[in-house]
Amino acid sequence: MPNVTVRGPEAPRTIESLDPVFTVKNLSVFYGDYEAVRGVDMLIGNREITAMIGPSGCGKSTVLRCFNRMNDLIPGARPAGTIQYHGEDLYGDHVDPIEVRRRIGMVFQKPNPFPKSIYDNIAYGPKVNGVKGKMDDIVEEALTKAALWDEVKGKLKQNALSLSGGQQQRLCIARAIAVKPEVILMDEPCSALDPIATTKIEDLMQELAHDYTIVIVTHNMQQAARVSHRTAFFTAEVDDAGVRHGRLVEFDETSRIFTNPSDKRTEDYITGRFG
Amino acid sequence: MAAPHNATVPGTPQSLARSRPRYGEQAIKAVLMVAALLSVATTIGIVVSLLEPTISFFGEISAVEFFTSTSWGPLFEPPHYGVLPLVSATLITTGIAIVVAVPLGLGAAIYLSEYAKPKVRKVFKPMLEVLAGIPTVVFGFFALTFVTPLLRSIMPFEIEIFNALCAGLVVGFMIIPIVASLSEDAMAAVPNGLREGSYALGASKMTTSLRVVLPAAFSGIVAAVILAISRGVGETMIVFIAGGGQPNFTLDVGKAMQTMAAFIAQAGSGDVPVGTTEYNTIFAVGSLLFVMTFAMNFVSVRLVRRFREVYE
Repeated sequence: MPNVTVRGPEAPRTIESLDPVFTVKNLSVFYGDYEAVRGVDMLIGNREITAMIGPSGCGKSTVLRCFNRMNDLIPGARPAGTIQYHGEDLYGDHVDPIEVRRRIGMVFQKPNPFPKSIYDNIAYGPKVNGVKGKMDDIVEEALTKAALWDEVKGKLKQNALSLSGGQQQRLCIARAIAVKPEVILMDEPCSALDPIATTKIEDLMQELAHDYTIVIVTHNMQQAARVSHRTAFFTAEVDDAGVRHGRLVEFDETSRIFTNPSDKRTEDYITGRFG
Repeated sequence: MAAPHNATVPGTPQSLARSRPRYGEQAIKAVLMVAALLSVATTIGIVVSLLEPTISFFGEISAVEFFTSTSWGPLFEPPHYGVLPLVSATLITTGIAIVVAVPLGLGAAIYLSEYAKPKVRKVFKPMLEVLAGIPTVVFGFFALTFVTPLLRSIMPFEIEIFNALCAGLVVGFMIIPIVASLSEDAMAAVPNGLREGSYALGASKMTTSLRVVLPAAFSGIVAAVILAISRGVGETMIVFIAGGGQPNFTLDVGKAMQTMAAFIAQAGSGDVPVGTTEYNTIFAVGSLLFVMTFAMNFVSVRLVRRFREVYE
C-alpha cells in the first residue's frame, strides 16, 4: 500500500450525486493536427476541490484551459468531444467565451498581477464587467476572502508588483473572486512559491471551497492529497503510431486514489516509481 | 593508465600565471573603445562647431531681440533677428505631425501586436518599416504635388501653395513607422501572463489591449513618441519643400511657414559669406534646435525611467 498520508477532506457525496458543474465526455484537444489529450471523461463536483495530477506533458493543464475556453486564445487549439457546464455545451455556437471566463475564473502558475496598484488590480475585473456597487466594498470583500486584507489594507495604492510572490498569488485569487465567479481554475498556483506561502494558499483553497468550485492542476502529489476531494490522474502514453497523447488514467475520490488506486500506473506514480 | 598530457599531476603545483600573452584581446578592446568614443567625440564636435559662431552671433545681436522679436529676416535689408516665427512654425508643424502620427501609429501597433495573426504581422511590419526608409525629399514632393492640391480642394478654409498644414501632415505620415514599430516592440514585450490574467477575468480583446497592455508598455510607447517628435522637429526636406520659405508668425496653418530646420537648409544652401552675421545666424538657430531636441530627449529619458515596469 502506498505510504501517503491523506489529510484532505472526504468527498461529501457519491459520484452519482455530484451535481456536476462540468461534465466532460470523450474530450480530446488538438493543437493543429496534434492530438495532445485523448478521450477524457470526468465530472467536476459542485463546491468541491478537484485535483488534476500527473507528469509533465500529460495534458492536465490543457484540459484545465478548456474549462474557461482559455485555449481559444491559442491559434490552432481545438477541442473535440463535449464539455457541459451545468448541462449547457461550453463550446456551443451561442456561447460567448468572455461570459464563460467571467463565470469561471483562473489563477495561473506564475503570479501575474497587473502593473497597477493593489486596489486597481482588484477593481479591474468588476469594472470591465460593468459590476454595480461600491468599489471600495468590492475590493475589501475580495481581499478579505483571499486572506490578504490585513496585510495590504494600509497600502492599497501601492504597486502590486511590490508584494511578495505569495502575496501576489493571493492577490490574483482575490482578483478572480472579485468578479464573483462560480468556479476557480488554478493552474499549478503554488509552483513558484515557497512552502510557507504554499500552505497559506492551500488553507485559502479549503476556505474558498465552501463557496466556490475549484479545479487545481498540480505537480505536487502531496498538495493534491492535502486539499482535494477528488483527484484525476493523467499520464502521457505513446499510441500504436508512435505519437504521445495525454490520457486520463483514473478519476476517483482523493482518499481512494492515494490509498487504494485501481490502476497500476496510478500506484506507480503516487509511490514515486514513475514520473 | 597514463595521465593525459596536460593534466595537473597531484603534488606538483603549477603556476596560475598567464602562460602566453593575449594580444588579440587588447587590440579588440582598443578598437571597440575607439568605436564608442567616436560617437561621443562627434557629439562634442557638433557642440563646439556650433558654439563659436553662436557666441559671435550673440556678440552682435542681443539675445532679447533674438528671443522676443516676432519678425525674422536676417537675409533681408534691414535684417530682423526674431527667432519666434521659426520656433512657432517648428512647433506647429511638429504638433500637426504628432496629432497624425500618435493615433495612427498606436493604432497600427495595437493591431499588429494584439490582433494580427502572426503571418500578417510578419508581412505587415517590415512593410511599415520600409515607409521609414523612403527619402524625405520624396515625401516632400509627394506633399507638394499631391497632398497640397488635395487639401486645397477639400478644406473649407484658404490654403496657400506652400503651407504648414500639408507639411505637418506629411511629416506625421513620415514618423508613423517610428511610433508604430517601436510601440509594437514595447507591447510585444509585455508578458503574455498579463493578457491571460485579463482575459481570464472576462475582459475583451479591446479592453485588454487598452487597459492592460498599453499601460504596461507605456514607457516604451513614450520613448517611441519622443523619438518621433525629435525626428519631426529636426525634419528638414518636407517642411522646406511643402512649407515654403516665408517666416510668418501666425497660427494660420493654411499659410506658408518656415521652420528652424528649413531656414538652416535655405540659408545654408545660399551664398552667405562666411563670418558675417547672416552666416552666424545659421549656427544660432542650429544651437537652439540642438538645445530643444536635447532637452526633450533628457525629459524623455526621465519619463521612461519613471514609468518603467520591471518584470521578473
